[in-house]
Amino acid sequence: MSIEPYSEDQRDALQEITNIAMGQAGSSLAQLLDVFVVLSVPRVRIVEVDSVPESVEEMVEEADCVTVARQAFYNNLRGETLVIFDHRGCKDMADLMGHDGSLDENAEEELILDVSNILVGAVLNGLGEQIETDFGFTAPNIMARSVPVDTVLSKETLGWSHALFIEVNFSLEDRGFKCHLIMLMPEESIELMRQSLDKILESF
Amino acid sequence: MSLPVLVVDDSGMSRKLTIRALPKEWDIEISQAANGFEALEAYHDGKAHVMFLDLTMPGMDGFEVLETLQREGLDCFVIVVSADVQPEAEIRAKELGAMAFIRKPINSEKVIEILSEYGIYEH
Repeated sequence: MSIEPYSEDQRDALQEITNIAMGQAGSSLAQLLDVFVVLSVPRVRIVEVDSVPESVEEMVEEADCVTVARQAFYNNLRGETLVIFDHRGCKDMADLMGHDGSLDENAEEELILDVSNILVGAVLNGLGEQIETDFGFTAPNIMARSVPVDTVLSKETLGWSHALFIEVNFSLEDRGFKCHLIMLMPEESIELMRQSLDKILESF
Repeated sequence: MSLPVLVVDDSGMSRKLTIRALPKEWDIEISQAANGFEALEAYHDGKAHVMFLDLTMPGMDGFEVLETLQREGLDCFVIVVSADVQPEAEIRAKELGAMAFIRKPINSEKVIEILSEYGIYEH
């Protein structure tokens, strides 16, 4: 199955609506941790599913030890979100929440699930508002815990041929903390998203 | 003479939305820039008496543009237009000399309110 790439205008529109959604998610994270969150430009592209694990590896710099929370979202658009924390990120987050590095495994998992849920909820709401869709989404679960990033996903994990790969990064000022939010959507959602983007582009 | 207005955003769509939100009867000469470097270049070419400035951009971001303008004592009326809705982002932008902060998505009422407040545009 072949998928037509997004046009430059479609890509630009998707990147900008993602940017707005990311801003809302970043603000929620800032509120939770009481710090300033540094945002960077989101990246959007269509990839063959086989190359998703590689793309994820490229994105994460401290790749030897990551923890990943996974959530699914659905409605007419569907897909998966992964929120990836490196080891340093988990520790920073625990410190900021007042745990002084003394967080046990369960409490740390709970914190990761909470943060994932907040980020994913805010991003989906932000996107949904702009493309006039309400997303449903599942509760997060820990997909991988303290493992090398190259073991997180295999080529079989998604079972699609192509994926829309949306990447958003959050870092905290003066700390090593980085967390990555990835949204992945399958073929039919790529096409539905294309229609939504065209609608936005036609409106001006 | 028309007022030189510069719209800075890495997204073409976002620049269009900003331009569309400007008052129709405003006598201006609009230029565009896609990142901080282009913005400063346009400033030095005299194209930015008023600047609508995005914060999150590749290369040189909006905070760096503000820092540069402030450090070099440059005179430009900057209105930040950003998706970064952290209150701290607005505080920092204003500390760096931005006169106003508009949260994306931009709307023309907000633009007119700010321009009127500072007497840049009367309608």
